[in-house]
Amino acid sequence: MGGLAPSPTLQSESPAGIDGFPGPYAVGRYAIALRDRLRGLARVCLVGELSGVRLGNGPNVYFELRDGDGGVPCAMWRTDFDRLTLAAGALRDGAEMVVAGGCDYYPGSSTASPRFTFRVSDMRPAGEGDLLARLERLRHNLAGEGLFERQKRLRVALLPRVLGVVTAEGSAACRDFLAALERRGWRGSIVWGYAPVQDRRAAPRIAAAVRDLAGVAQVETIVVTRGGGSIADLWAFCDETLCRTIALLPVPVISAVGHEVDRTLIDDVSAVCCSTPTHAAEVAVGVDCTAARIGASRAAGRLEALGRTAVLSRARALGAHSRAPRAALAGHRRRLHQHSRELRAATRRGVADRAAFQQRVGGTVLGRKLEAARGGVVGERGALRARTSRLELAGEALAARREQALLAHAAGLRASDPDRTLERGFALVLDASGEPLETADAVRAAERFDLQLAGGRVGARVSER
Amino acid sequence: MSAEPLTYEAAVARLEEIIARLDSNQAGLRETLDLCREGKGLIEFAAAELEAVGQGLEELRLDELIERLDGAGPRAEPVAR
Repeated sequence: MGGLAPSPTLQSESPAGIDGFPGPYAVGRYAIALRDRLRGLARVCLVGELSGVRLGNGPNVYFELRDGDGGVPCAMWRTDFDRLTLAAGALRDGAEMVVAGGCDYYPGSSTASPRFTFRVSDMRPAGEGDLLARLERLRHNLAGEGLFERQKRLRVALLPRVLGVVTAEGSAACRDFLAALERRGWRGSIVWGYAPVQDRRAAPRIAAAVRDLAGVAQVETIVVTRGGGSIADLWAFCDETLCRTIALLPVPVISAVGHEVDRTLIDDVSAVCCSTPTHAAEVAVGVDCTAARIGASRAAGRLEALGRTAVLSRARALGAHSRAPRAALAGHRRRLHQHSRELRAATRRGVADRAAFQQRVGGTVLGRKLEAARGGVVGERGALRARTSRLELAGEALAARREQALLAHAAGLRASDPDRTLERGFALVLDASGEPLETADAVRAAERFDLQLAGGRVGARVSER
Repeated sequence: MSAEPLTYEAAVARLEEIIARLDSNQAGLRETLDLCREGKGLIEFAAAELEAVGQGLEELRLDELIERLDGAGPRAEPVAR
């Protein structure tokens, strides 16, 4: 341990050493050098059981890590410890832990004892992590060998007659599986390969049951199932031999181990991995038998109907073809009748239209003429009135003129009136009948005569002959 | 159809094909009648398969089954139900 030798003591009076050994050195400085040296060692992970756990209230958490061969005292800063997300009670005596850290040495002081410790900076429970790590390695290896694919290539029968089931006798998984099959109306045969599903003996027994079931020729599908549990509980289903056995089976295996979150290795190698026993039953018997029976009966009815329709529709078409010529003739006849009816109607309509048109035209023309006539009458009436007034004027004028002429004639007449002549002393000789006697002979002949004088007649007689 | 033994799923798949073909109205009369005949056969087969798994749940124990198979018994007897 020459590297640990501190520089010689400064004490003026150094005690004598011991032959064959360097020194003597002051122990405190040696302790510090020892600390530095230990801290320089590689930091590692250790695994072991906890003992003497002291959480306390101080700045450190103390415990020892041991296994059958020995142990180290460990210390962890409380701040580091508080950062861990350990489950409550995980840090207890007997717990298997993996710790990470490095060697440390507390040199002590005049009052405090020196102490070697393994300074832990991180830790986790050992079991689970180890199992998971081993599981991952195994998974990786089996996948690398192509063992995950072999079962996937097998066809899982939709409607098997015989199922092989590996599970624990009388388990809840067993009951769930049966109940799901009942619901699907499946009433085939189940060969139960009962096996323990949890302890150390489980994996070989499960493997044997699976192998034996695969040996029964009638078994079409094998189901391996159990309920949920911790990874340790389900560890049997991660067994390498079991998984290799299943991977190489010629019969498809459906696995339903644990719950949805639990993923065991058997889930990877099997043909189908299901989340629950119920789900496994639904995959193992892919047909809902009750519904399928109804479906088959419907399909039969449908086929019957389709066949009948196919024949009937063609028979109908054939019948239609055979009636076609007569139908065509009837069609032509119908069309002809139709045309003639239309023609008649059109003619009637045409005549009526024309009559209406002429009436319309006549009405319009007559109306116009009437209007014109009315206009003419009014004009005529005006003209007539004008003429009448003119006529009246003319009449009046004529009357006036006639009056004047009459007056003139009257004057003229009066001038030639015999009465006027009588008034001037002349006398008119009249016979007995009042006719004038214009000559003296006439008067003599008459013998008696009248003299018409102004103011009256006077009878006279001829006295001389 | 191939020479493979008929399975329930193959029968159902073929039946669906047949019905789809008939529904398409493109099959001729002869084809229709042939398809109907084939479909009826398939339905009979599927119904028989369903019947075979509908007779009643039979449960056997593997260990007893193996014993019987190892012995002279030609077929396993149901042990429950």
